[in-house]
Amino acid sequence: MDVPDQIDLDRHLELAGRGFSRPVRWVLIALTSIVLLLGLLNVFGQHPSTLVAESAKAKLEVYAPAHLRGGLLYEARFTVFAREKLNHVVLLLSPGWAESQQLNTIEPSPVAQGSRDGDLYFTLGPVPKGQVYRLFLEFQVNPTNVGRRRADVALYDGDTRLLSIKRTITVYP
Amino acid sequence: MDIVLRGIFVFVFLYVLMRMIGRRELSSLEPFDLILLIVLGDAVQQGLTQDDYSLTGAFLAIGTIAVLQLVVSYANFRFPKLRPVLDGEPIVVVQDGKPIEKNLKRERVTIDDLAAAARQQNIAKIEDVQWAVMETSGAISFIKKSGS
Repeated sequence: MDVPDQIDLDRHLELAGRGFSRPVRWVLIALTSIVLLLGLLNVFGQHPSTLVAESAKAKLEVYAPAHLRGGLLYEARFTVFAREKLNHVVLLLSPGWAESQQLNTIEPSPVAQGSRDGDLYFTLGPVPKGQVYRLFLEFQVNPTNVGRRRADVALYDGDTRLLSIKRTITVYP
Repeated sequence: MDIVLRGIFVFVFLYVLMRMIGRRELSSLEPFDLILLIVLGDAVQQGLTQDDYSLTGAFLAIGTIAVLQLVVSYANFRFPKLRPVLDGEPIVVVQDGKPIEKNLKRERVTIDDLAAAARQQNIAKIEDVQWAVMETSGAISFIKKSGS
């Protein structure tokens, strides 16, 4: 019974010395499955979460994803609840909000925009007691924008800092 | 730089994935497999070049994959010890007309699959086969018994 050329019966029939390949395959399948599971659990974005800061004068809610991927379109929603009359509401965002991200739209348009000590500020105007102001920012992440950066939010009434929320955004490739 | 890094990652990931899913899946190209292949290609392209529509981007992406393929191919040729890892090894699935159950099971090949592959080689009965070897490509080579 001639054995075909290059076929070694020990190795190719009895599979001698190949015991490692099945465990390696299962380990790779398990690792891939773990990554998929993490994706399912929102580890890689982009499900939004809500962060809240409160004081006697106001409450601030930030609803935005903390984990993103290159190219994603997403929304950040800022809600200001005025517990007392706020005369000159200003929202201050750290530069991480705009770093390598396309800011597609801001609704409603702020009264004024500018820079304050390197941060982005949006003047929203007065908010009467008991009223709510919602600001929507629509972004798209640049594909090369990989890494983690600060994306803090602070609420001011004029020059008085009322509230702040510390957060980061992580962008996966 | 970004596209080259993405190209390397995609190549390594696809290479490991292809080795991981096994040769049975590689050998068959049913209509559903064809659709999967197109979907896979589209998903890979999105991750590879993203919003880059430039000729430079396409050159970098294709060039990276082509060079890596060349490197793997050369490593396969130059270093025989790497072949089992990079390319896999053939497996004998029939010896002297008898299917080798443990090897078939390992590659998730049923007797029906084996018989179908034999029929495609104009072999009506497995017992007429001296050797059947599942190659690294997933194809099964049949060597008939002399006189049959």
